[in-house]
Amino acid sequence: MNRLRVIGFEYGDAAFNMALDETIMKSVGSGRAPPTLRLYGWDPPAVSIGYFQEIREEVDLEFCHEEGIQVVRRLSGGGAVLHTSKELTYSFAVEISDPSVPQDVQGSYIKICAPIVSALREIGVPASFRPINDIEVKKRKISGNAQTRRFGAILQHGTVLLGMDYSLLPALKVRAEKFAGKGVGDVARRITTVAEILGREVAHGEFSEILVRKFADQFGADAHYSTLSEEERIAPTLEERYRSIDWTFRR
Amino acid sequence: MERECVRKLKDGKMAKVRLIIEDGVIKDVKITGDFFAHPEDGIEIIEKELIGKELYSARQAIESASGGIALVGLHVEDLIAMVQECLDGSMG
Repeated sequence: MNRLRVIGFEYGDAAFNMALDETIMKSVGSGRAPPTLRLYGWDPPAVSIGYFQEIREEVDLEFCHEEGIQVVRRLSGGGAVLHTSKELTYSFAVEISDPSVPQDVQGSYIKICAPIVSALREIGVPASFRPINDIEVKKRKISGNAQTRRFGAILQHGTVLLGMDYSLLPALKVRAEKFAGKGVGDVARRITTVAEILGREVAHGEFSEILVRKFADQFGADAHYSTLSEEERIAPTLEERYRSIDWTFRR
Repeated sequence: MERECVRKLKDGKMAKVRLIIEDGVIKDVKITGDFFAHPEDGIEIIEKELIGKELYSARQAIESASGGIALVGLHVEDLIAMVQECLDGSMG
């Protein structure tokens, strides 16, 4: 990989964030854009659910409505995630034929998560990859990652918990089968944040810069900060799909 | 009648199969959970393949429809076992 395009950190709302990931994935997959790393945040807070998840099983819709938390269905599989303003999110898109990313799914998670693990370690967080798609510190999740493979591309997006607004956690329903009948407190105990580990806040911009450097190192590429292309900038219909009841409630 | 089977899978993922069965034929099916499938449409292809099938041919339908699909966190055998569990319940 020669060139890594970087779209710098910006907050967006849930439908915008997911529509832009899809748009970038399409332009990368069709060869109209180079491999791309995008950094972003969520404002207002949101819950994203995996492509195959049943929304009513995963999300307390009433709580989300009361707290102004948006709900969006992702293009990627995986689990439900609460995204607060303290989270840093990335998306990484490459052509599916790009030899720098393994074809086998587990191998590709390992390769794409490695720069995240490395960035966390650089700031003093002893993180490690945990199959299939998590990054942990002392058995607690600090980063969740999910892939979709479509439009000629691999898109992996994921979270880095720089911090967490625990008061919003009731947005996620706790599956009795998964946590053996325990409450929300158990979700809180299964995750951790950079702020908790280091005892200080790390700014989105600071961590983004480290992440960009680590991705460039990992893929042997030069990172170029860039803007979206003309065709990527305007995807209102795509954004509408992510806001639609049909899409959000399709399972 | 409607049947449901929920499982926590080996890699920590969850999956749920919900079947609607009438006169020994699968009328509708939904496979949900936090697993991955590439391509994602693969799950819908499996669901479509199961609809209209008689109970005894469910395994074969899943096996033939899942050919080109990379399932991650959910194995074809899990899916077959879950559908089977729904079906066993429906006949009991």
